[in-house]
Amino acid sequence: MDGPRNPSTIFFQYERIRRSIIASYWIVIILAIPLWWQTTSIERLSLPSSEVYAQAEAHRGFQLPVRIILDSEFTKRDNSLALEVQTVLKDSSALDIRVSGSSGRSEGDSYLVLPSESQEIRVEGRELFFPLEKASASVLAKTLASFILPDKDHRVVQYSPRYRLSFSLLNEDSSGGQVVEAWDASNGIARHIEPITSALSVLHNFTIESQAQFYAPLAFEPLKLSEDEAYGLTPEQLTVFVNSAEWTLSSSSSNDPVLHFLLFVPSASRRPLKILNKEGKPTNSNSFLIPQWGGIVIANLPESPSKIRLSTDDLKSSFTTFSQQLLTLLGVPRLSSGAVRSRQQPTGWQIDALLRYRAIENVVRTSDTLRSTVSLVEQIPNMPVGEKVRNDVRDALKALKSLSSSSNMTLTGILATSRDALTLSQKAFFHPGMLALLYFPVEHKYAVYTPLFASAIIPLVVAAMREVVAWRKQRRGVQVPQG
Amino acid sequence: MYLISTLVLLLCSSTIALENLVLEEEYTEYLSIRSLRDGKVASSFSFKTLLRDASPRDPRQLSFDDNQDASQHYTLFPLTLGQILRQYAITELHLTLNAGKWNYDSWGVPDEPGVGPGAELWAWMADGGTMSVDHRWQGLRNALAGLFCASLGSLDEQRTTSPQYAFPPEGTIPDLGLPHQIRHASHASEHVCTENLTPFLKLLPCKSSSGLASLLNPHRLFDADWHGMGIHVLWNPDGIEVHLNFQLVSDPLRPSTVQKQDWSLESLFDRTIQKSCPVAVTSQISVSLPSSGMYRITPEPHTLQGDNAHYELGSSLAEPFNVGIEWAGELEYPSALRDSSLMPISIHRTLQGPTQDKGRLLVTLRNNGPNELKVLYLETMPWLLQFYLHTTTMHIDGIPRNDLISNVSYILPVPHYQPATFESVLTIPGNATVRYSVDVTKAFLRYTEHPPDAQRGWDLPPAVFVPSTDSLRRMYAPALLVDLATPDFSMPYNVIIFTCSVVAFIFGSTFNLLTRKFVVVHLPEGN
Repeated sequence: MDGPRNPSTIFFQYERIRRSIIASYWIVIILAIPLWWQTTSIERLSLPSSEVYAQAEAHRGFQLPVRIILDSEFTKRDNSLALEVQTVLKDSSALDIRVSGSSGRSEGDSYLVLPSESQEIRVEGRELFFPLEKASASVLAKTLASFILPDKDHRVVQYSPRYRLSFSLLNEDSSGGQVVEAWDASNGIARHIEPITSALSVLHNFTIESQAQFYAPLAFEPLKLSEDEAYGLTPEQLTVFVNSAEWTLSSSSSNDPVLHFLLFVPSASRRPLKILNKEGKPTNSNSFLIPQWGGIVIANLPESPSKIRLSTDDLKSSFTTFSQQLLTLLGVPRLSSGAVRSRQQPTGWQIDALLRYRAIENVVRTSDTLRSTVSLVEQIPNMPVGEKVRNDVRDALKALKSLSSSSNMTLTGILATSRDALTLSQKAFFHPGMLALLYFPVEHKYAVYTPLFASAIIPLVVAAMREVVAWRKQRRGVQVPQG
Repeated sequence: MYLISTLVLLLCSSTIALENLVLEEEYTEYLSIRSLRDGKVASSFSFKTLLRDASPRDPRQLSFDDNQDASQHYTLFPLTLGQILRQYAITELHLTLNAGKWNYDSWGVPDEPGVGPGAELWAWMADGGTMSVDHRWQGLRNALAGLFCASLGSLDEQRTTSPQYAFPPEGTIPDLGLPHQIRHASHASEHVCTENLTPFLKLLPCKSSSGLASLLNPHRLFDADWHGMGIHVLWNPDGIEVHLNFQLVSDPLRPSTVQKQDWSLESLFDRTIQKSCPVAVTSQISVSLPSSGMYRITPEPHTLQGDNAHYELGSSLAEPFNVGIEWAGELEYPSALRDSSLMPISIHRTLQGPTQDKGRLLVTLRNNGPNELKVLYLETMPWLLQFYLHTTTMHIDGIPRNDLISNVSYILPVPHYQPATFESVLTIPGNATVRYSVDVTKAFLRYTEHPPDAQRGWDLPPAVFVPSTDSLRRMYAPALLVDLATPDFSMPYNVIIFTCSVVAFIFGSTFNLLTRKFVVVHLPEGN
């Protein structure tokens, strides 16, 4: 009689077959792991962090060469004057300043100090006329220092290769008795603003626009002054003067920073509108500046006639103020007291000083941005870093290095390189690809993986363990009879 | 003339030269009010600013990264709009944002033809230079979306078409030696509201502080049965003209207890005109006088022209200005209102079919006149709905008349990318009703393509009909709503768990079957 067939004799119940089935499952899983890793991991190229930190340290002492030549008249009077001036200047600024005495003309981009015939200090191009009698080391150094590198000023706007200059005529309330219908802004700009913009064209490009508004109410009530029929703006009110909710000033069509210049005409019932000082006394000034934003001029016009068109002559004083405000906002250094310019435009000294100021600003901002990029990437382990970001960081570093290594660059060249470095570093920092996987946290992944993998992996593990135990038991069983 | 235009071009191309040009600007405002035969009152505000001797920008002066541009000096012309027009070199621009359905049959011809539901934007642009027309179109709608706080950014490639005949330029096309192209997009589910009105008012020289614009009271405007605003920019040899308009149809019968059609500025807008706008050249109100019934209009009209009473707001107002009409008796609905239409054709457009994958688009057109009429018919259909053109049929009283369809042009939709453009000319015999129908299939969307309120369905843009007798009088058919197959978005995690359980169950049982070890167990005998 046949008993039931021994199942271990069926081919798929062979020990070898079963074990190879289990093994093949595991082989597939192990082979698939790299693929899974490849498809789910974030592309994170390594950034040159150590170089970025080293560069940031190195640029604390970023130096620009300045050559000053004293005329032989000065050195004749005092042989050591050049050296003394240099020592004083070097102590006060971080630039690579060299002062020498020479009788020859200037070579390249050096600055000349020439004796002046009169008592005044006069600037022309890159030449400074200085009265011989006043020329002591400290006085000369003090005058020169203001020409070489301006101090940091919080009113100056951040560097941008392009600005929009927006001129607005604001009637507070044009139905209240008087309306300024039009203003000859284009002529005023051509006379007072364009000399500046064309002189500064090595630094920035400008787009100019003007508009008029007929209802530009203030968001607050100006103070009524008791003594005469006047109204006043306290220093606190000046800080909230711009009513951006009601005045359509900013434009949405470009990303360039805008500098606003407002000619504010108070309504007929609120004239004259004066600016008060801290004690609440009216001042003579009719204009004020909002740091890094723009300038405002208050025009208290005569009551009649009811409709006015402001001509170029009417606007002369306002546009002169605007041009001063523009110079301040752009950081054009002021000449030290007593110095006169031959023309209204910024002189070569001022432009050069501004170029230096902007180049140093850009270098500092670039290395700050690079450092932030690197530390941000270090802080967030989920942040992807693509090829573009790495290349931008590398190129920005390269530009920074080229700035510190080559001393024969012109100032405009230095500014252009520093600008490129800044643009590249900002492009890296704001690269949209770095945001891609930030919103896909690890917890989310596990929540999706576990329901599938946990339930599939457990039978696999259990089967493998059971088979290993069985195999070891079998081996021991085989070994025992031998021993 | 040619010499002058060359000179102007030369001046424009030079940065400095343009600044010396003094541009003259002119601002006029106009309000027309008319009583409709169903008792409602239609008001139409129109604010026009003319920038004399200006011309649209030549796109060849545009370049990609360097937007070096001449200075722009404006006084009355809105600077924010001017910047957009220059930056994208737009020749002609029309943007309308409307809410509601314009009832052509009983309200007649609207003062402004752009009364399609939702947002509609179309622009004519010269083609040339480094920036392509599509690139500028994209920039334009994003800039306008920012300016008007409307989701015009969604008027993307999936909604943009270039219909050839339905939207001819309303101004003149300048002779730049370049071909001009049109881009058109509409979005029926975008509605107009206060956040769009505020930037609209800021474009006006007097904002809403004085003049006719001071009547624009958002509480009343958006309470009206139909309301909409439009921004139109066009060029003609005089210069560039910006035309801002706001239309509304209010119902004076709704708040009143007696059935009287009386209205006044105060009852319509809850405001009177306190001050006139000092920079407006003319500021005119025109009231169309009713043709029947006993009524009194106050104050006395300044001038009368035919059926219209005109009021001219001077440069200063002695007292607040208000105008109104009072009727002697109650409103009597015309008995024939249902049958007679004020338009040459009446339009009905419906989408039929209960299923989520197939349907039929049915358009019923009635010619209200005795003469045969040719009508241009335009469908700009997103790919959500795809036509089977071979099923197109035309019927008059059940008799097929496919000969009435001619000049068919059809641009196929590209799924997930481009809408279909269907243009044809339909001929409607006098006093006849034609039924046009075509079978459609509804698209099956990807998971991510559904909007946040997926169950609501998709608004389809209105069809446009242009009678051949008057090519500028477009008529819009109402928008349609299509219900597409929508997944259940509420429980994605449950779906993951459920799917995983099934997969794990199948995997587990297969694996067990493959690796199970069978043994024979001998039971001890004798129990």
